[in-house]
Amino acid sequence: MAPALRVNAVSKTYARSESPALTPTSFDVEPGQFVSLVGPSGCGKSTLLGMIAGLITPDEGSIEALGEPVTGPGNGRAIVFQDAALFPWLTLERNVEYGLRAHGVPKAERREKVAHALRMVHLDHVAEKHPYELSGGMRQRASIARALVLEPEILLMDEPFSALDAQTRTLLQDELQRIWLETRPAVVFVTHNLIEAAFLSDTVHLLSSSPGRVVKTYDIGIPRPRDEADPALLDIRHDMLERLRAEVDDAALRRAEFAEVTEVGA
Amino acid sequence: MSADRLKSVGWEIVRKGWFLALLVFLWWLVTAAGWADPYKLPSPGDVLSTLGNLFTERALLDDLGATLLRLVEGWAIGVTAGVLLGLITGGSRFLEDGIRPVIAGLQAVPTIAFLPLAILWFGFNGTAVLVITAFGTFKPMAISTYSAMHQVSPTLMMAGRAMGARGLFLQRTLVFPAIVPNLVTGLKLSWSFAWRALMAAEIVVTGAQGLGGVLELGREIGAIDVVIAVILVILVVGIVTEQLFFTRLERWVNRRWGLTGAR
Repeated sequence: MAPALRVNAVSKTYARSESPALTPTSFDVEPGQFVSLVGPSGCGKSTLLGMIAGLITPDEGSIEALGEPVTGPGNGRAIVFQDAALFPWLTLERNVEYGLRAHGVPKAERREKVAHALRMVHLDHVAEKHPYELSGGMRQRASIARALVLEPEILLMDEPFSALDAQTRTLLQDELQRIWLETRPAVVFVTHNLIEAAFLSDTVHLLSSSPGRVVKTYDIGIPRPRDEADPALLDIRHDMLERLRAEVDDAALRRAEFAEVTEVGA
Repeated sequence: MSADRLKSVGWEIVRKGWFLALLVFLWWLVTAAGWADPYKLPSPGDVLSTLGNLFTERALLDDLGATLLRLVEGWAIGVTAGVLLGLITGGSRFLEDGIRPVIAGLQAVPTIAFLPLAILWFGFNGTAVLVITAFGTFKPMAISTYSAMHQVSPTLMMAGRAMGARGLFLQRTLVFPAIVPNLVTGLKLSWSFAWRALMAAEIVVTGAQGLGGVLELGREIGAIDVVIAVILVILVVGIVTEQLFFTRLERWVNRRWGLTGAR
């Protein structure tokens, strides 16, 4: 079967920046596969996701989504942003409906799909509320529903849980695992939280910075549904940390930059 | 109403009204002491009785009605045109870069400078006045719309585009609602520009019924009490629209857009 997503030697250097945000990087995402990009800030993981989303143009290389070259947002890809990015003037229901309206889906069908998506994230009881009336966790669940309602074959998630408190985050990780098992889109999930990446993913690409690049790829074979306290996950996290420490120590020797050690260890 | 509530309302009137009361007192003092020629500055009492006469004898209410109707019409036309132009052309760098500097340049010209043209094209009548009012509203409104569009959150735009919104659908369902809170400021600004253009035009085009015509009549016959009475009427209209319309609109928009009461 053809991959859902093919990332082919893409790279990016931003203007006025001495080192590349991302050196040539390649990987495939199979249909229904959950892939995480994890690493400290500045490692290029968000740049990479932006390129897959079609919002950032790579300097070199190319990306194919569902066999078509990516030239902009759309075709089969939906995105969940860090700050939910719901439209404040619309109710949750109308927010979730928005993408269907943009795609010209008839009203009756819209209503049915919106109701289904809201039930899936357990927000059907607050469908008529506006985003500012809800907690951060509920807003993020709504933004997941907004992406899922489009029945994407590829779901892109840009640090979706990093603005939430620890308890809410754990709950949402469990919910995401359940929803993904029910709907099975291919997922590219960006995070700086190592355990989150290991817990959710089939494959984790560990990235490092200066220059941004993939330093190691982990295949997580633990059967689902998983438990976040699984010792096997902690072993993987430990290995990732070691790997990043070595990277940062190298970098520290070269450039005396320690800032990211603390962030990764946190 | 409880005694406490009465007390707080009373205090609010004192807090917001003391300066105005002081001004009226000084005005009264100057006229009562005979320091000013009554021909140049009539007393508050005289102005008040003139105001009463204007309403009963000259049907000032009709003039006020004609002016307000023209103001609301001209403002509504100008606001609609300004917002539409901004929304339609603001989606394209090419269109905006060409159009926006021209409007900004026109905004530097007082609207009343276009009155001779408007009279020539539309006649010495209410239509010319209406056109000038709408034009005076349109310029600041278009500029406000352009600036507001540049402040729309890039994440919201990305979210909209990623969900497949583009073109006029994007402008109508995302950009327009996103700029509404910022547009309220533009609405207030353009309202004051509409007033200026309207009064200036009405003073010149005296054939049309309206407050401007009454102002000009007062000047012609040397009845300065009439002039001051009309100014007071305009002042009251300004305060009433600000308090009853714009303040409420702003509060409603802020609540509905989650700008207040947000977590």
